[in-house]
This record gives sequence, C-alpha cells and structure tokens, in this order.
Amino acid sequence: MFVTDIRKEFYEAVADQRVALLVASDIDALCACRILQALFQCDQVQYTLIPVAGWQDLGTAFLEHKDQFKYFVLINCGANVDLLELLQPDDDSIFFICDTHRPVDVVNVYNDTQIKLLIKQDDDLGVPSYDEIFRDDDEDEEGGDSGNESDEGTEPSGKRRRFDEGSVERRIERQREKREWEARRREILFDYEQYEYHGTSAAMMFFELAWVLTKDTKDMLWWAIIGLTDQWVHDKVTHMKYVTDIATMQRHVSRHNHRNEDEENSLSIDCMRISFEYDLRLTLYQHWSLYESISNSCYTCCHFKLWTLNGQKKLQEFLADMGLPLKQVRQKFTSMDMSIKENLREVIEESSNKYGMKDIRIQTFGVHFGFKNRFLASDMVHATTALLESTEKDENETDNFIKALDSLSRSNLERLHSGMDLAKKKLIAIQQTVASCICTNLILSQGPFLYCYLMEGTPDVKLFSKPMALTLLSKYLLRAFIQSTRNKRCRLLPLIMAAPKDVEKGTVLVVGIPPESETSDKKNFFGRAFEKAAESTSSRTLHDHFDTSIIELKTEDRSKFLDALITLLS
Amino acid sequence: HGLNETKSEQRADLLPSIRLRHCCLLRNQRCVGAYLYDRLLRIRALRWEYGSVLPANVRFHMSAEELQWFTCYKKSLASFMRSLGGGGGLDVTQDMRPPKSLYIQVRCVKDHGELEIDDGTLVLLKKNSQHFLPRWKCEHLIRQGILEHVVH
Repeated sequence: MFVTDIRKEFYEAVADQRVALLVASDIDALCACRILQALFQCDQVQYTLIPVAGWQDLGTAFLEHKDQFKYFVLINCGANVDLLELLQPDDDSIFFICDTHRPVDVVNVYNDTQIKLLIKQDDDLGVPSYDEIFRDDDEDEEGGDSGNESDEGTEPSGKRRRFDEGSVERRIERQREKREWEARRREILFDYEQYEYHGTSAAMMFFELAWVLTKDTKDMLWWAIIGLTDQWVHDKVTHMKYVTDIATMQRHVSRHNHRNEDEENSLSIDCMRISFEYDLRLTLYQHWSLYESISNSCYTCCHFKLWTLNGQKKLQEFLADMGLPLKQVRQKFTSMDMSIKENLREVIEESSNKYGMKDIRIQTFGVHFGFKNRFLASDMVHATTALLESTEKDENETDNFIKALDSLSRSNLERLHSGMDLAKKKLIAIQQTVASCICTNLILSQGPFLYCYLMEGTPDVKLFSKPMALTLLSKYLLRAFIQSTRNKRCRLLPLIMAAPKDVEKGTVLVVGIPPESETSDKKNFFGRAFEKAAESTSSRTLHDHFDTSIIELKTEDRSKFLDALITLLS
Repeated sequence: HGLNETKSEQRADLLPSIRLRHCCLLRNQRCVGAYLYDRLLRIRALRWEYGSVLPANVRFHMSAEELQWFTCYKKSLASFMRSLGGGGGLDVTQDMRPPKSLYIQVRCVKDHGELEIDDGTLVLLKKNSQHFLPRWKCEHLIRQGILEHVVH
C-alpha cells in the first residue's frame, strides 16, 4: 500500500525499532541512504546498512538478517517485483520500499499489511484498479448450484429438469464471464507491466521526509540534488520531470539560503553554500580543461561529430569564433585567465546557438565551500558513479559501495577527486569507443532494433562490464549514431548493446535502451522482451539487475537470443 | 666466603670484593624488581584495555604467577565496581573518554559473526556492513580492530 503520511506511517513507526537498510547500487540510492542515515543518527535509531547489487544479493541479505530485524527499508529496489513471493518472509516482517523503478508490482500496491510504499501516488502511476485484477472466487455460487441440484433430486423430474437447465445456463454464463474477465485482466496487466521507467528520485523522497520533520540540513539538500541529477545524467527521467523537480529543489535552496545570510551576519567562507546555476552541459569542465571537456561531453561531441576530421575543424572554428585562444582552452580550467572565465557561459551559449546547439546550458545546482571547493551536481554524480563502478584490481562491489558512499561527505575530498579522475578516464574511454564504433560501422540494424557488440580485445572494455557505464556508453552511442547516419528509419530505433562481463564464466552484459527522441518518455520495453526471448530459446540468462532491461547472458547463446528478439519485436 | 667467615678469619682484604658483589646483587635485585613491577603495571593496564578476557597471544607471554595476579586484580576491580552506584554497580571501564554521542556509526572490517545487544537481539557483523549501534557495545570491538568507527 502507498504511505500517505510518511512521518506517521514510516518514521514514527521505526523510530524506536532497529531497522535493516537494503540499498541498491546507484547514486540516487546512495544519496537517499545518506539522508536517512543522518536522520537516524539524529534520532538515535539503530540500523544496519547492507548494500545489495541485484536480486540475489537482496535474497541473501534478507535471509541473513530476517531473524534479527522486523523492519526492512529497501532503497531503489523491490517495488517492481512481487516482493513477498520473492522473499517469503514471516508475517511480522514489514517492508518500507522507496524505489524509483516503475511499474510498481500490483501485489505490492494492494498488500495492506506487510508492504508500505514510500512513493507518491502521482497521476502517472496508472495502477489498475483492484477489481480489474483481483477477484474473490465464485466457489460459493457453484457449490450452491450443485447443492440445489442434489436437493431438487427429491422433486418430480419435470421440475428438476427445469432447474437443471436454469442452473447449467447460469454456470455457463458465469464461466464465460470469468474467462472474459481473465482475458481483460491479462491485457490490463500486460499494458501496465510492458514498459519500464523511473519515478521521483528516492533521495528527494527522503529529503521531503526530513523537511516534514524539520530536520533538513544543507547537506541533506545537497544529497537530494545529487540524487535528482543522477536521474538526469543517466537519462532515467524525461526532461519535463527533471525541470519540475529542479523547481521543487530550487524552493528548498532559496529557503535555506535566506535563513542565514544578511548584511551583518554573513556566513564564513567555509560554510556550505548551494546555488542555482544555469550552467553549461560540459561534463566536469571546471575540473578539467575546457577543450577536453568539450571533446568528451556527449552533447558537444555528437553535435560537432568530433569523430570526423570535419568535426574537429568545426570545433576549432567554434573556439575561434568565441575568441578563445587554444593555449588558454587547453590548460586547466582553474588556471584560465579571469577575463575569459568571466562571461564564459554567455559567450559559449551565443556561439553554440550559431552552431545548432540550442540547449548547451541546463538548469542545475552547484555547491561551494572553502576557497577552492566548487562542484556542480553533475560533477558529483560522475565522480561517485566512477567510484561505485571502479574496475581497479582487488576491489569488490561492497568496497566500492563504501568508497562511493564516503565520497559524498564534505570531509572526504581526496576520495571525491580520485573519483573525478576515474570519471575523466571513463568519459575519454566512452568517447573513444563511440568514435571507433561509428567509424568501423559496428552498429548493425537488425530490423526492429540496432545492435552493437563490443569484442573482448576492445580497449577499456573492462570498464563496460558494469551496468551503469555500459548504459551511459549506449546512450552516447545512440545519440552519435543518430547524428551520423543518413537512414531516417534507423534514427527511430532502440539500441541493444552487449559487452563481455566475465571472461572466465563466459558471459556478456546486455543492455537495451529505448529510441532517442526529443519527446521520448524514456519508457523501456526490453525488460519483458528479454525475459520472453530467454524463455523461448532457453538461453542461459541471469536477470539479476534491478533494471529489467539489463541482463547477463552466456556468450554462446548470444546469436539465438538475438534471433528470438528479432522475431519477437518484428 | 661469607661476610661472617671473613670477619672471623680476619681476612679483611676480602671485604671490599664481598661488598662489591653484594652491591651488585642488590642492584640486580632492584632491576629485576623494577622490571617485574613494570610488567605488573602493564598487566594492570591490560585489564582496562582488553576487558576481563585477555587474548591468547598476550596470555602466552605471562607467567603463571602473573596470571594469578591478574585474576586477583580482576576480582578486586569487579568488587569495587559492584560497590559503586549505591550497590547497583557501575562499569568504570566503559567510556574512558567523554563520549560525544550515545550511538555511533561503525563499519565492519572483518567477518565476526553475531553480536548480541542489550535487548537480546542479534546483529550480524559481516565484512563491509555498516551499523548504528550503542557506543558501549562497540568499544571493545573497535579496540580489537573488528569494527571501525565511521566519522563524517
């Protein structure tokens, strides 16, 4: 069931209990977790934090802890599957689920006792009504009829025949009705569960809880902003939703900023200041050189087509048009001349308009504490994602989770900077891979979708054995492909990418993303498609990830799996 | 030659060497005494550091008499603590420095298995799990290096 008063039904219920937090591995979940941890610390609620990377981890974690905890809080996992069926808990376990995955499983919505959804009942949830999916069995009526029949056995045969005919007709009518209802139910459920998409950020939900409790701090606000920005960076929500949520966050930012500053008591320079920024879409540009940022940001790279010689020339023209000397542009941003940095955003926006890049600027937030430390929300997202999915040796997933979680604190700046270095390497790797895929025509049209397979020897392919990195690569690749292809039909196709995941086990990671368009609603049907294709070809797949459009597949089964998908989606 | 024998035999010329040796023996005795006393002080400090059960590698380096002394010290400290607080007892080995908070955030560095906390419930300490627990339950585990205090 949906929780209506998050303070009473959730926070006050767990405040004097011990809670287990099961947190998924994405930045929004990490931010939500930090906000909740801060609240629990404030109110001394004892908890245990367990990172979970997929359904198997979730199951194991639950089994290990079910005897010790009654209350479980699941962050960014658990809403899109029948949780009680999956975990088989005891009757007194209670699950609070704050998950952005949609559609929410109908059993979770209509369970009144054990499942509490910390999700807003927005209009776009579209949950089918109770009567359309659940129905008490008609056994009583059937029993009544047969009872009647046996009773009527004592009556004269004429009457009995009449009653028999009547009851048989009624039974046939009921069975027909039931079949119709079941067919309608299947259709409704199919429509409801066909497309996978994402809802409001979990970090924002917990920030709202903090606000309702009037325990919100600037740190929590910043984490909520990072959670929201993560949804934008990884293209999980539509632009409209992002802008609406930014407006909500902007109200909170103004509220916090007006609290402390006035003429006499200005804040110390070391205090945290969050500000609304209408800033450039150039990834990590303030921590890199402007030139490298332009060359490695998806937006600019795709618009200029920087994998072609022509594109490189256009970039030089663009820089010349703005009057930026190459020497300045290639050095670290912080060392650029002040005169250039002053109006940089406006200058770039003006020139970008000339070159067809209408939205080079995006609404976001930045934070600033101390003299040296300024970060944009997207910088934090890229850095933390790189830490979370780091493929350095001797690091397992939980180590990375802990490192990424730590990097969100202001006191862990070296970790954040190391994350940014990793993020830069990842971005460069992505752009190089995109360039090589386009130049060597590695993207094939299979009819209903585009397909690209990264072979084992490809440079940096290890980076793409992680789901978020591979998804980011796919999105960039699709955008680049759309810019480079002449085939109009191909521009509307979705993309499936595969990259080797585990060389020893011989598996590949397969990711499906929806087609790219201005008005895309980001709804992804590959989850169901992958399931059906795997079933029909009995391919050995592992649907472990919380996003159903990301699966692991045995390398040998690749071709038959693809063939099944093609038939399914044609 | 004992001192008395020397005196009785009128061998006065041996007196200085006897005295010298005697002084050396006394000095050695003082050194050994100081050493043993220092060990005792360290063993006493161990009770405050490790709690009432010493790890095996520490016990290995203690003699039987020292172990006995430790047990007596433990008992005496325990009876002292029991007598505090109006007969209710007070554990003075907890909170050696004034604590900043009742509960602290800890991260598990090694697998430790289950930990029982005050209300009888168990917490599973698995590597890399994070917990928010009462300070007094975690202190000895932090000292042993199983848990790590997370400061933000």
